[in-house]
Amino acid sequence: MAIKLYGSLTSCVTMVMCVLKEKGLEYERINIDFSTGEHKSPEYMEKQPFGQVPCLDDDGFLVYECRAICHYLAAKYANQGTPNLIPPADDFKAIARFHQAVSVETHNFNKYVWMVTRERVIKPLYFKQEWNQDIIDQAFKEIDDKLAVYDKILAKQKYMAGDTFTLADLFHLSFGTTVIRCGCKSFEKYPNVSRWWNDISSRKAWQEVYEESKHYYDPIF
Amino acid sequence: MVLKLYGNLTAAVMRPYCVLLEKNVPFEHIPIDIDKGENRTPEYLAKQPFGLIPCIDDDGFILYESRAICHYIATKYAHQGPELIPQDLQKNALYQQWSFVEALHFEEESVGVLLEEYYNPVYFGQEKNPKLYDEHLTKLGKILDIYETVLSQQKYLVGDEVTLVDLNHLPNAMLLGAHGGTNIMQDESTRPHVARWFKELTSRDSWKEVMAQPSGEE
Repeated sequence: MAIKLYGSLTSCVTMVMCVLKEKGLEYERINIDFSTGEHKSPEYMEKQPFGQVPCLDDDGFLVYECRAICHYLAAKYANQGTPNLIPPADDFKAIARFHQAVSVETHNFNKYVWMVTRERVIKPLYFKQEWNQDIIDQAFKEIDDKLAVYDKILAKQKYMAGDTFTLADLFHLSFGTTVIRCGCKSFEKYPNVSRWWNDISSRKAWQEVYEESKHYYDPIF
Repeated sequence: MVLKLYGNLTAAVMRPYCVLLEKNVPFEHIPIDIDKGENRTPEYLAKQPFGLIPCIDDDGFILYESRAICHYIATKYAHQGPELIPQDLQKNALYQQWSFVEALHFEEESVGVLLEEYYNPVYFGQEKNPKLYDEHLTKLGKILDIYETVLSQQKYLVGDEVTLVDLNHLPNAMLLGAHGGTNIMQDESTRPHVARWFKELTSRDSWKEVMAQPSGEE
């Protein structure tokens, strides 16, 4: 049975699609329509009790939370497609730096790109509401502060967890692209961040996923 | 050289503090006082470029982000004390899943409650916003409703063995009762299994020792 990925083409879902592509995995995407409340239907909440997307069904094994799904796919298909999206298990210092970078993304990056997404994407797209530019600008300021620190980290190493591209970099792609579409300029402001961002966002897997999915947010830009 | 744990005993520092005790790893606790700006000194920023606590120095190996530190300690000392990170592929995937539920959703709503009731009034001189407080508390309740279902079928979030995911909830869960103005974690009539789970976790020797520290209630 093929891998099934549940969700519409949101930033959380395209993150998982990017890993599937990096790993060269075939999958079927099953749309979950927010406008009809499909994500809160009893059938879907049986799979994902919080009523959020995405959710993965791998031959009957269910897992949710986009970053956990990516981790599962990278671990299960370690020897297929792009290698070392998670550092080798026997190198516990590399693993530690990887988890540090994953946590940095979760707490220093996602927190603020999510603020922008909620205000500038979710409000107009799903609730037909005006966005508040002050909230977006405040989040841009936070993103800028954090990327200033990223610039120092990336002056010493090629990627967020060391000199190898890992999931910790990939996790930035979908939401990073979304906030850039929303008008965030900080990615080009800092030289090392800019070099890193151009490197990871030009990867073939992400380019293909972006081309396939960008129309989803087009109505609000 | 003994492992050094930097940071005053805030919620984020309690996480690795507890795991070090679980794993019986000797360490030296070095308070870093944020109120005095000790987290913004060049020496500290060289270790932790974001200027946040905690941070560890394990014989020259520097690491930050509380959950990443816990993961490192649990991995390095896998065969000492309880296992804490499941190795099986599917169990590990569920462990990762619950790690993100805790780090993103439980964290956002519990910190939201604490910000309004405690951090903003006490540390930042801002009045509590009752509307925001209620919103966060309601959302937290909805998250804990899912926990209740899971914990009615198994002892802990990933299965019948305790993992890091359970322990990582402890600091914010404790603070909700101590300073958040809510008994949401202890309320046996509303969510008996969540209350049982929280009680078991807080009864662990490691956590009792964290709470016995002079600034454990800060």
